[in-house]
Amino acid sequence: MSSELRVEHLEKVFSPGARPAVDDVSFTVEAGEIVVLLGPSGCGKTTTLRCVAGLEHPTSGRIVIGGNVYTDPAAGVLMPPRARNLGMVFQSYAVWPHMTVRQNVAYPLKARGASRADIAKGVEEALALVELSSYADRPVTQLSGGQMQRVALARSMVYQPQILLLDEPLSNLDAQLRLRLRDDLRRIIKRVGLTALYVTHDQTEAVVLGDRIGVMRDGKMLQLASPLELYNNPADLFVAGFTGATNQMAGIAVSREDGFGTIAIGGDQLLARLGANVTPNTAVKVALRPDNVVMAPPLPGPNQFPAKVLSRHYQGTQTVYELALLGTTVEAMEVGSAARHAEGDQVTVALPPDVLWAYTDG
Amino acid sequence: MDGNRARALLPWAWSGLLIAILAFLVVYPTAMLLIGALTTTNPVVEGYKLSDLSIGNFIDVAMNPNVASALLNSLIACGGGTIVAVAIGLSFAWVVVRTNTPCKALIASAGMLPLFVPPLVAGVAWAILGSPKTGLLNLILAKAGLSIRVDMYSMPGMIFVFGIYYAPYVYMFTAAALRNMDPSLEEAAEISGASATRTMATVTFPLIMPAILSGMLLSFIVMLGIYGIPAVLGSPANINVLTTYIFALTAWSPPKYNTAAAVAVILMIVTGFLVYAQQRIVGSRSYTTVAGKAFRPRSLNLGPWRFMTLGLAIVYLLIVVVLPTLALIVAAFRKFMFIRDIPSIFEMKQYGWQHFTKMLDNPLTVTSIINSMKVGILTAIVGGILAFAIGYTITRTKAPARRTIDVITTIPVAIPGLVIGVAYLWAWIGLPGGIYGTLWILALAFVARFIPDTVKALSTSLLQIHRELEEAAWICGRGTVMTISSIVLPLARPGVVAAMTLLFILSIRELGSSLFLYSSGTMVMAVQLLGYYEGGNIGITAAFSLVQMVLLGVLITFTNWLSTGASTSVARSG
Repeated sequence: MSSELRVEHLEKVFSPGARPAVDDVSFTVEAGEIVVLLGPSGCGKTTTLRCVAGLEHPTSGRIVIGGNVYTDPAAGVLMPPRARNLGMVFQSYAVWPHMTVRQNVAYPLKARGASRADIAKGVEEALALVELSSYADRPVTQLSGGQMQRVALARSMVYQPQILLLDEPLSNLDAQLRLRLRDDLRRIIKRVGLTALYVTHDQTEAVVLGDRIGVMRDGKMLQLASPLELYNNPADLFVAGFTGATNQMAGIAVSREDGFGTIAIGGDQLLARLGANVTPNTAVKVALRPDNVVMAPPLPGPNQFPAKVLSRHYQGTQTVYELALLGTTVEAMEVGSAARHAEGDQVTVALPPDVLWAYTDG
Repeated sequence: MDGNRARALLPWAWSGLLIAILAFLVVYPTAMLLIGALTTTNPVVEGYKLSDLSIGNFIDVAMNPNVASALLNSLIACGGGTIVAVAIGLSFAWVVVRTNTPCKALIASAGMLPLFVPPLVAGVAWAILGSPKTGLLNLILAKAGLSIRVDMYSMPGMIFVFGIYYAPYVYMFTAAALRNMDPSLEEAAEISGASATRTMATVTFPLIMPAILSGMLLSFIVMLGIYGIPAVLGSPANINVLTTYIFALTAWSPPKYNTAAAVAVILMIVTGFLVYAQQRIVGSRSYTTVAGKAFRPRSLNLGPWRFMTLGLAIVYLLIVVVLPTLALIVAAFRKFMFIRDIPSIFEMKQYGWQHFTKMLDNPLTVTSIINSMKVGILTAIVGGILAFAIGYTITRTKAPARRTIDVITTIPVAIPGLVIGVAYLWAWIGLPGGIYGTLWILALAFVARFIPDTVKALSTSLLQIHRELEEAAWICGRGTVMTISSIVLPLARPGVVAAMTLLFILSIRELGSSLFLYSSGTMVMAVQLLGYYEGGNIGITAAFSLVQMVLLGVLITFTNWLSTGASTSVARSG
């Protein structure tokens, strides 16, 4: 039922001469896996998704689903969306306002010429899955945003598509609803065992939903990895920054061994993980998450430096400090409702080498 | 204490004043029209009497076979015209919004041009092209050795001209609906496995159906109230529609004012019902929902077929814009309409200004132009001030009875211009020493006719001024009047000027209501043009048509320059 998706060297140029919207993107989504494409707006993630759907025609590259080639402009292969047997959930829900919930969900089955009994059974099951059984005969216009998106989900799964495509399905919902539906979405997709490609610009959504996350920028796939890998071993400065490593310190790589190296920042030296292409004597940027800065460490260890608290921003359940550290300003965050340090305090700060990454600058 | 009471009464006094003015302009004439329809008294001879008030008089008229045939003709002509308009308007909308046909923007704006042509001028142009004996098209067909002939003096002729000139109404509504439709609604259908035709039938069409219906009803309503086209094309073939029949009744000797009033009431009832239906559709079933989001409409790649759609669009523009304009130009400048053969159309020595000279030799021409300008200015000033007062009261104040004022203001939407003419005739003809026979009756009738559109336009521009701007002036110690004159008026000025220019344009081209209200001393351009046409001089008619078109063209360009969007309101008033 659910199939593997292979995207090979996908490229999409909207107008000749312009920068490609999708630039040589390749990845595979295993059968039953959820892959999230994550990136800022304009990074090409939605265009990639729409190429898979057949709604957009790529300039070159191949799209292979379950071993069958669906898109291959070089060979003149371009299956129309209706022949791909894919499910898609749109950002704007795209539920048809002139139909009831039942009519919306039944539509794909009718288009496939299913029997009346099969349609009734399929609709029943799909609505039960998204917990909307009691709403079947309501006009969709009377539903809330979250309910509409559930209708859209039921509609996209009712015909057991090979792959489910989701285009920022939660971005039109308010914050609380978004959290609930986010957890529901993963549970439902996993229960049905669908292969899913999910597009979003929200990193927490990506982390919760995805088995693997692909970070995109300017039409390129920068890193495709598990959430754990992505957060603890980002491939470059952009991925690090995009996933929350907002502190960046400029320095010079001094030496390198086993993926780690010594970085000189002003007169001080610190130990950090090195990006793949960092060689000694090159300028680097060191990225660090504010929540990985340890203030007043209990034990002595590597990378401990004196710092001064410049300002304190108390946020209730966490406190953000601005620190004067290594000749620059660094943000640190401590969780908990107690604010341990005051403005002007001198504290010792530890920067754990495992979560300190250095990348070539530029 | 007394000062406080006076202050509390002031809003009531203001609302009372506005209601009194509206009653005078709208309610009183409508009531007199109803009285006329329900009595048999001749107002000119006997004044107004209520003694024989009876629904029987109205039923007698309504049962008259002539009325029935006029009503039937109206329904056939407007129904047929609406079908043609939907066919053209819908395909035009699809081509412009949903395909990659070249020069779309140009096609779209040129396609709106027919809206600015006064119906009478359109009728005249098509009479010149398609009259059965002397029509230019028939001459060309005959010279080309073909045996087919066109006959515009017929029901199909009327339907055709109605259809091509009112297609833009359908286009405006459906193009907007297609443009505002979330493209993912259709993409969802395709992903679901539906073919292109199935998507169109089950998703696209149902979604734009309210817009289609709305455009259909609106064009039907406008056609129903048009006098110029059926007068020019229907009358020679003895086809009477409601509007031409009403006018014929008042031109009878002695004039049948009661019958005319009764038929006018029938026309008003039909229109009122349709307007109600249209408002319901616009209000309830709007599917263009997702707010504030700009969509890039799906554009179908037609491949080489796009040149065919371009060709069709060009053919439409040729038929609707180029051909009639050429016909008017040929007829206006050609010394004799006799055309020996096709090359002789292009012989320059056949052309000259003699029709224009003759037209200007007639003192009535100049009088009618001057009168139209005077009426236009009166209407613009009176209507502009009144509309501003009403608009401000409705949108900006908490004055009592605002709702009532709003409702009375919208009544004229359901009253065709011609019916307003008959109503004003009834309201004033029996009052010696009144405004009948002056330019004022024309101006006031126009103000009443156009007040809904004017107030709507002004309210829109008033709503764009943030309330806090006014509140800030109050806080600074300004009173209401000073606030309006120092803050609201300056900010709303572009809107006010545009609304007044619009009123000016609408009143100088208004024919329907003028027909019943002009007198020898107060001849206006639209009526004078009809006079030339009925006098049988095609050359002068065409010349005067061109003069009016150029005048309107200049004015509309000016208004457009003042405010984009005002031009569509010209269209909405027919």
